[in-house]
Amino acid sequence: MRPYDFTRPRSVGAALGDAHEGSAFLAGGTTLVDLMKLELMTPSRVVDINRLPLRGITVDRGGLHVGALERMSDVADHQDVRSRYPMISQALELSASPQIRNMASMGGNLLQRTRCGYFRDLTTACNKREPGSGCAALTGHSRMHAVLGTSDACVATHPSDVAVALVALDARVHLESLREKRTVALADFYRLPGHTPQVENELRAGELLTGLTVPPLPWASRSAYLKIRDRRSYEFALASVAVALDLDLDRGTIRDARVAAGGVGTRPWRLEAVERALVGRPAALATYEAAAAPAGEDARTLPHNMFKPALLRRTLVRALVALGGRS
Amino acid sequence: MSTPIGSDVARVDGRLKVTGAARYTADHPVDRAAAAHVVVSAIARGRVRAMHVDEARRQPGVIAVYTPLAPLPIHAVPGFGENYAPLQDREVRFRGQIIGLVVAETAEQARDAAAQVTVEYEEAPARTSLSAGLPGLPSPGMSPDGPSPDPTLLAPGVDTIDDALRASAVVVETTVEQEAQSHVAMEPHGITAVWQGDDLTVYSGSQAPQMYAMLLATRIGIPSDRVRVVSPFVGGGFGSRVPVWSEAALAAVAARELARPVRLALTREQSIVLSGHRPMMTQRVRLGADRDGTLNAVSHESAAELPAVGGWPEIPATETTGVLYRTRNLAIDQRLVTMDTPPTWAMRAPNEAPGAFALETAMDELAVALDMDPLELRLRNYTTTVPSSGQAWTSKRLDECYRIGAERFGWEDRDPVPGSRVDGDWLIGVGMASAVYPAHAEPWPVRMQLRDSGTVVVSASTPDIGTGTYTVASIVASDALGVPIERVTAELGDSALPASAPAAGSRAAGALAPAIQSTSRVLIAALLDLAVRTEGSPFRGLDPSALTYREGRVEAGADSASFAELLGMARLPAVEATTPVAEPSAAQLAAHGFGAHFCEVRVNRFTGEPRVSRFTSAFDVGRVLSARTARSQFVGAVVFGIGGALLEANPVEESGRFAAGNLGDYLVAVNADVPPIDVTWLDYSDTAFSATGARGLGELGTVGSAAAVGNAVFNATGIRVRDLPITLDKLIGRGETSALHRV
Repeated sequence: MRPYDFTRPRSVGAALGDAHEGSAFLAGGTTLVDLMKLELMTPSRVVDINRLPLRGITVDRGGLHVGALERMSDVADHQDVRSRYPMISQALELSASPQIRNMASMGGNLLQRTRCGYFRDLTTACNKREPGSGCAALTGHSRMHAVLGTSDACVATHPSDVAVALVALDARVHLESLREKRTVALADFYRLPGHTPQVENELRAGELLTGLTVPPLPWASRSAYLKIRDRRSYEFALASVAVALDLDLDRGTIRDARVAAGGVGTRPWRLEAVERALVGRPAALATYEAAAAPAGEDARTLPHNMFKPALLRRTLVRALVALGGRS
Repeated sequence: MSTPIGSDVARVDGRLKVTGAARYTADHPVDRAAAAHVVVSAIARGRVRAMHVDEARRQPGVIAVYTPLAPLPIHAVPGFGENYAPLQDREVRFRGQIIGLVVAETAEQARDAAAQVTVEYEEAPARTSLSAGLPGLPSPGMSPDGPSPDPTLLAPGVDTIDDALRASAVVVETTVEQEAQSHVAMEPHGITAVWQGDDLTVYSGSQAPQMYAMLLATRIGIPSDRVRVVSPFVGGGFGSRVPVWSEAALAAVAARELARPVRLALTREQSIVLSGHRPMMTQRVRLGADRDGTLNAVSHESAAELPAVGGWPEIPATETTGVLYRTRNLAIDQRLVTMDTPPTWAMRAPNEAPGAFALETAMDELAVALDMDPLELRLRNYTTTVPSSGQAWTSKRLDECYRIGAERFGWEDRDPVPGSRVDGDWLIGVGMASAVYPAHAEPWPVRMQLRDSGTVVVSASTPDIGTGTYTVASIVASDALGVPIERVTAELGDSALPASAPAAGSRAAGALAPAIQSTSRVLIAALLDLAVRTEGSPFRGLDPSALTYREGRVEAGADSASFAELLGMARLPAVEATTPVAEPSAAQLAAHGFGAHFCEVRVNRFTGEPRVSRFTSAFDVGRVLSARTARSQFVGAVVFGIGGALLEANPVEESGRFAAGNLGDYLVAVNADVPPIDVTWLDYSDTAFSATGARGLGELGTVGSAAAVGNAVFNATGIRVRDLPITLDKLIGRGETSALHRV
């Protein structure tokens, strides 16, 4: 870890004023401190934003509002989140470990860096860490890497679980700079790596993520997050899905659906074609299988992650069966 | 007083550990200690052309930077562990090799400065593929002078094992593979080196402090009696703390050069590379049997990674296939492939765990081919002598383990048809396997004292690596001398103490217990002698044979005095005894621990992830000295097996890099992966093994447990995964021919 300045502002304005090129905002620290120890991030100044008033978990007619500094465990445990958006609670509780969830902030979660082992290993080539240096994952051990949204420059998987649920729910993030406040749909916030994998999102220099809003979706009370991994706890997803179903229980059909996937994409991956294939159909295994079939068809696999498209389809079917019933 | 042996005594060092009072390597307070951090290579093979260290030298707090161009003098010790010494030349022999050492005032400063060293290399092609190096060279085994590690047994008239296999009614052939596995002991490796004149004291977690002192002395070129290794608490070893690795020698020499103590702690990533790993290997087992399951031919071939820089000469078959089943024909061929990889070293049941995975998977396949209960197949081929040598065992009750384990587990409820048990979306399967691990009846000494404070002290260099040696030693001494365990103190883990058993090869408890018992008898004799010689003693002038010792007191007629009182009268702080030289055992008997594992797994029909849902193991280890720590060892060993079966792999990439070089990527089982594990043991004294009859048990449960998991996965799904770990991709990839849901 290199020496750095440290400030602890009390207002958003002061924090934005403290920020400069080469500074980093510190919330829970569960990503930043790790990466600073690896000297992968070497900020000259760390702006501790934990005193900022970016707190609060509230539900109103506009939906669910969560301050960027709310801790993952507090959001997961919130009664309204649990009852109205179970997939958010579940995605959070299936993330990391209890200790990390108690520290990590929601804003930090959405901005966390990839767990690609080459990104974190300074002795290997990584276009995300050092643009133009190459991508060691393409010829390395690629079992955990993405198969959707990849480019020749980068195949790093987006690590967040809760971002998958939030993308399925059309969540928006609120951004603030000294010049303006703006709101961006989370799905548009994340960028595909393309030729510039070092640019991961729409956050501009000197801009702070202050909170997020999840629009109301009453039928999201029937939603779930299913995370598949080798180890039963404390591991990133091989594949995950966030699914919400609006069921017509009288007719046994699906009125509406929200589906997104994690662990497979370079960003949280909304599966709109799957959603369309579910809507209006019977809530039955055959529907789920047919709807899941095209998922991952456009995947670009590497030698060690060729199983991921099939795992994604299987994960979808399993989640849909659990949520919608078999027949 | 009833005997504490075998009872459920709480760990005597438990309080120290949970309160943080137990001191591990980096906890020992040392004045003026400087901190060292290693610089490691980013290529697998080649030469250092240049190292730029000026920037590092300029960093705050930096005291010294050592490189191949500005080296610290240390020596290689061929033959055990690493065979090279870093910084003595510009060669890079594996990726992550030490090529520099930065010493600074604080650990953070040393680490920061080390990160600023830049290196230019001349890169050379590296041998990083096991398969490219096949078939490899025959393994010499652990002792070149000993018997061949590759025993062969052919029935009269049979020329080759292949002939015997061809002549068998049913033949199965199984090839299993596994990647490197990492020890990842909880405490990262490190050392604090303190010189006083020509004497070096080293604080470092070691499984063998005596050997550590000797090897370190050789590496730094001083007499071994100048080195003291202090290792009272060790945060896990699993084999990785048996050798002395290079960083220890560098830290010791740096401390001498700089004339101040040096503390070096490897990062987790560095520990994984520099402190040994279980070699990657491939094994082929061929079994030929009669229709009734009687084995006619058993062939076990292996080829394992052996780094050019040295390591563990893996022989997975000798103590598994070489001992487990009766057969008319047996052939073992174990090979090693030279590779440019980091040093390998023994990891818990180093040969036996991989060997049993191969053999016990093949036995399961044979049972399927014969349409026979796998447990029945094992009983059909039960042997009461070592197949290759004809030796009898000190004791073997594996058949009872099978019976008891099967009963506790409910093995008879098993359905042999894969995929026939389903609970919702989960396929349920069961599997079993045998465990075997060699036991070492070696005479190692201890020193014991009765002190005037009323305390009994047992002293030995043997460390407690978390297995419970403090507790075991206290229990045995408490029993032997009839004093409450609270009045026994065990002093362990220090090379200045009597040179006793290393904590390796599951030998510590089995060696210390008989030594404590025999030494206690000498100690009592010395006490009685003191009692009749001491002025003012009620026993003065009596014949010692007229006295009795009972529960810490000497008695004769109506007279009675405690040993503390007698020592007070004699004005002596203590009476002391060391272990008498043991008669070498005349009987040439084999000694092994045995066990039977029974496992239930659940595999999701859709997504294929295997989860262990039940596990029962029954063990035959002779006498159990400490129920609580024995149980902990058995359970921990099964957890090791579950990890090895389902999670643990550290593939070496073509670049020589470990793909899972940290605890985020190298997966060990967490609590959620481990169901309640039901372990039981036969409790009897194996008196042919030792006077105490306890054979040692730390590694045994690791053997066969992975195979039991794999066999259960087959029973659940109909899919046989032969390359470890058994992960969901290997199951859903074969979803079309199994009980998995077809998607």
